[in-house]
Amino acid sequence: MKMSVDREITLRMARAAQIRVAPEDVDHMMDSINDILSFCALVGDLDCTGTPDFTWRMKKRPSRRPDITRDWEDRERFKEKAPAIDGNFFRVPRISSEV
Amino acid sequence: MGVIKSARPVVIGLEVHLQLNTSSKLFCSCSTDYIGRTPNTNVCPICLAVPGTLPIINDRAVALGARMGLGLHCEIQNYSNFHRKNYFYPDLPKAYQITQYELPIAVGGYMDIEGDGGPKRVRIHHLHLEEDAGKLVHPTTDGRMTGAAYSLVDYNRGGVPLSEVVSEPDMSSPAEAREYVTRLRQLARYLDVSDGEMESGSLRVDANISLSNADGSLGTRVEIKNMNSFKSIERALEYEIGRQNKVLASGGRIIQETRLWDDSEGVTRSMRNKETASDYRYYPEMDLAPIVITDEEIEKFKEDIPELPWEKRERFARDFGLSKEEISVLTEQKELAAYYEGVVNAGAPPERAANWVRMEVLRVINEAGCSITGFGVKPAVLAELVRKIENRELSNTVGKDVLDLLVKDGCSLEDAINRSGASSAKLTGSSLDGLIATVMEANADVVGVIKSGQDKKGGKAKFLHGLIMKESRGQADPKEAAEALSRMLEL
Repeated sequence: MKMSVDREITLRMARAAQIRVAPEDVDHMMDSINDILSFCALVGDLDCTGTPDFTWRMKKRPSRRPDITRDWEDRERFKEKAPAIDGNFFRVPRISSEV
Repeated sequence: MGVIKSARPVVIGLEVHLQLNTSSKLFCSCSTDYIGRTPNTNVCPICLAVPGTLPIINDRAVALGARMGLGLHCEIQNYSNFHRKNYFYPDLPKAYQITQYELPIAVGGYMDIEGDGGPKRVRIHHLHLEEDAGKLVHPTTDGRMTGAAYSLVDYNRGGVPLSEVVSEPDMSSPAEAREYVTRLRQLARYLDVSDGEMESGSLRVDANISLSNADGSLGTRVEIKNMNSFKSIERALEYEIGRQNKVLASGGRIIQETRLWDDSEGVTRSMRNKETASDYRYYPEMDLAPIVITDEEIEKFKEDIPELPWEKRERFARDFGLSKEEISVLTEQKELAAYYEGVVNAGAPPERAANWVRMEVLRVINEAGCSITGFGVKPAVLAELVRKIENRELSNTVGKDVLDLLVKDGCSLEDAINRSGASSAKLTGSSLDGLIATVMEANADVVGVIKSGQDKKGGKAKFLHGLIMKESRGQADPKEAAEALSRMLEL
């Protein structure tokens, strides 16, 4: 069954994702989401008769990590690659919901 | 236990986050020791969400989650898994938190507490594992987010393992909520699951509170965050009960929202509209295999559970014949309980040992600002001191001086007794009579009242007895002094 979104759901998705959408862009965003949903519906129409389910086959218990600490020596590289650094902190834009 | 008045029945459910006692983070090998560390030093590609990295679950975190679940009488699940909880906030670099959602590690269970009207059972909905977030700093002059041009992030705490214990809404007052958190923390400490320090953030509480409607149905619930102490839990809930009653009494309606407790102002403030579960867009964490716990493993976890607080309380009552109040103090911390047992096992009479540990040992510890683990007097030494007091070789007063010397100078018991002066000849017989005569002479008016038969309740005689003990500097035996005083007063 093909799903689709309307303007109201589109705006709600944008709010949940904290994306600011200009009024003139809402229709375009709605059309893009509906295109994706149409493609999903198309995939759903495929005849998968005889295709085995994709299941997680666990032959043994999934491994766990022992509780041992290890320092990551190359951490300075994170700072080099970070968009913005302030002393030892990563600097991020202010929280949009607090604006 | 105080009971706040509300026009409508109060319904409270709590979500308690406990930082688990592991050395490394939940999904990577970075240290969990982040207090006071330079920002962003306990980080690696996994907890910084570098693309291409894969999380691997910490075995001890699983064991501690199951252990806490067992302590809460939950059913440990053979199969549980993780989800991604999506939210746009930079305190986690992935833009989602890895948390258990549909299939938590432990479900059901309960915690018995002392409720407002007597013993009460608070049901546990479930316990799940999740990663902690990093810390945000908002560099404004007042420290609040509003007005900050940017934020700073420290990911040292990001990825530290948490267990979240979600209760059913079974508490009916702020005092019960506080009692529940107190018992939960005690359990976590007994089990070595968490240190449960609220001040450092290793125990955090979110409360859901509502007032019932007139028809008995549940009212709109409000979530309260940012309660950083046991006192603030009670204060925040009391404030919220008052606020909601006022809103409803004036014809208003309660909005489902999250409110932050402002401890300095003593109020809750609206933070944001409560996200619905779908806003978090939970979906399965495909980077992590499910947690599979076999029945054999669960049995092993059960075998490793130590004596729990309520079991210890029962045993102390049965074996030592102590009162409820004495037991409550002695078993509050398992280390204190172990110390007390050490004193008794070394030969001290249980009741007198209980008195000494409750009154004197705790006094010394409080004065020194240390814990029982840092208390320098070994149980066997205190047992010997208590035994000497029991045998009237030393008075209580001298015993206290001796204990102070033991703590202060770390000397042997014999040295401490010598230095307290108690080993010199005890005040007895004619020497004691002489001292009593001096006290009576100096308080002839009091003696007159007693002899005239006006001291019907014996208060004046007790006053004299107290003076004699004081003057004797603890070297007189209280019972012998009392008998000698009665004889000399011709009572």
